[in-house]
Amino acid sequence: MSIDQPLAADCSIAELLACFLARDLNDGEELQVGVALPIPEAAVRLAHLMHGPNMELIFLGARMNVHHLDQIPMPAFGWDNRVVRWTESFSDRGHRFDQVKDWHRRVFFVGGLQVDPYGNTNLIGVGADHKRLKFRGPGSVGTPTLTTHVGRYYIVLNSHTPRLCVPRCDFVSTVGWGQGGADARRKLGLPGGGPKYVVTPLCIMDFTDEEKRMRLKSLHPGVTIEQVIAQTGFELVIPPGIPVTSAPGTDELLVLRTRVDVTGALRRL
Amino acid sequence: MNGARESRLIDEALAVAGLASGMMIAIGEPTPMALVRHLVRRGLRDLTVIGSGLALDVLIAAGCVRKTISYYAGGGVGVPVAPSFRRAAERGEIDVWECEEGILTSGLEAAGKGLPFLPWRGGVGTSLPEVNPDLKVMTDPINGETLIAVPAIRPDVALLHAAQADVYGNVQHHGGPGWIDLFLQRAATRCIVQVERIVSNEAIRANPWATTIGRADAIVRAPWGAHPWYSRGGYVQDSPFLADYVTAATAAADRGERAALERWLNHWCREPVTHADYLERVSLKRLLALHEY
Repeated sequence: MSIDQPLAADCSIAELLACFLARDLNDGEELQVGVALPIPEAAVRLAHLMHGPNMELIFLGARMNVHHLDQIPMPAFGWDNRVVRWTESFSDRGHRFDQVKDWHRRVFFVGGLQVDPYGNTNLIGVGADHKRLKFRGPGSVGTPTLTTHVGRYYIVLNSHTPRLCVPRCDFVSTVGWGQGGADARRKLGLPGGGPKYVVTPLCIMDFTDEEKRMRLKSLHPGVTIEQVIAQTGFELVIPPGIPVTSAPGTDELLVLRTRVDVTGALRRL
Repeated sequence: MNGARESRLIDEALAVAGLASGMMIAIGEPTPMALVRHLVRRGLRDLTVIGSGLALDVLIAAGCVRKTISYYAGGGVGVPVAPSFRRAAERGEIDVWECEEGILTSGLEAAGKGLPFLPWRGGVGTSLPEVNPDLKVMTDPINGETLIAVPAIRPDVALLHAAQADVYGNVQHHGGPGWIDLFLQRAATRCIVQVERIVSNEAIRANPWATTIGRADAIVRAPWGAHPWYSRGGYVQDSPFLADYVTAATAAADRGERAALERWLNHWCREPVTHADYLERVSLKRLLALHEY
């Protein structure tokens, strides 16, 4: 047993997901995070500090490299000077969508009210009639444009239930793999690379190569396959030998807790 | 020859006096609350509002809105959907012109450029063209690609907040214009800008590259004018103040208990006659505590 066991063992699921995402981000990438997504907010900061001195962080539209900072705390919100004081430029020179041709280098994160087996997501609302929704969502923000163009993106869900993981979204605000198939996005003329992983409080999922159908990739510690099946409202592809999602190392958790999430937001989610 | 160059500096009540129920009004970011409060105070109705977040929600709560053109009506962490927006949309009391940031800015750019529409790719394959029939799926005549034709969006007026201006309508945002203000200004018929301070024309001419809007139709002096939201280069968001609003608006939306919300709207929006009256209610101590660093 090494000394890191107790620390790693008591990490929260949100911390686990932040560390998982951080490891999947590469130095040199542009990482864009929108509103109200604390796990990706933490993940991009952690990756930047751990292994990404040439990453560029884009919060809403403020582009910065803050690798030199001792701390990159989580923001209270958007665009006041506590965030933008480090800004080197406002992305696309202040006109946010004037340079989408270069977004293949960019990585993005989306949440959703619903997600279907092909990674299509919904921020519009739940219900049959758009004029009388049962639950009105916040709207699409910039996610349709971002997910159309970025090199890849991650779907980050705050819960994992049959109401959220549905066979078909009531409304689609971001197209993942459409009706399925590796050529689905090309046929629609969407240049970006599409969703890579879906991360939830229960597991990590990816998409099959041919059909682009959602597939279980790893289970978080203590979660069973039966639990995931019961909480997913569609048939998930389940290959043999599902591993446990690898736990954060001591070094990652130390940086996360002392240099990024200094108020413990990810332990309260 | 005689006469002097005309000042465009007017007070907030006069600035809003020219607005009428039924208009399309665009709200910039940072939020021009000194002007927005007067929309509530005047009791305007049936507005089409281009806006986002809790500022949009306050106008809906006050009954000013018939239709929203909004890419985002959440309130940040902890408030996934703004309460008054959610309730009004679910009950069919407002029309939601479903869009997203790239579609909205394309429509505004079409208006500014005098075009009937501009094409946009973001949204292809989504439900947006189904739930918003004004968005037309089109085949591009050059390469045959599938795109969305976004019709021009032409606000009657844009209400904006910036750091400074001279009395002639030369506006300078702090550290640049943010992301949407100039789209709104280019598209709108009229543009009213409230500013933290009025500076001399000489100060503007010292750095004309910093001028973000050259001919605003009216300038309103409004120090702390974005409160309870932030103003870059000035102060940060007053989160407890906004939390009070969210609590009151949620009680009204979820349980039909409107008393606290009406008190909030009366106290903060309807009763203060001038911007200074509002700031006195907020109190100097509270405002000074919002200093940026």
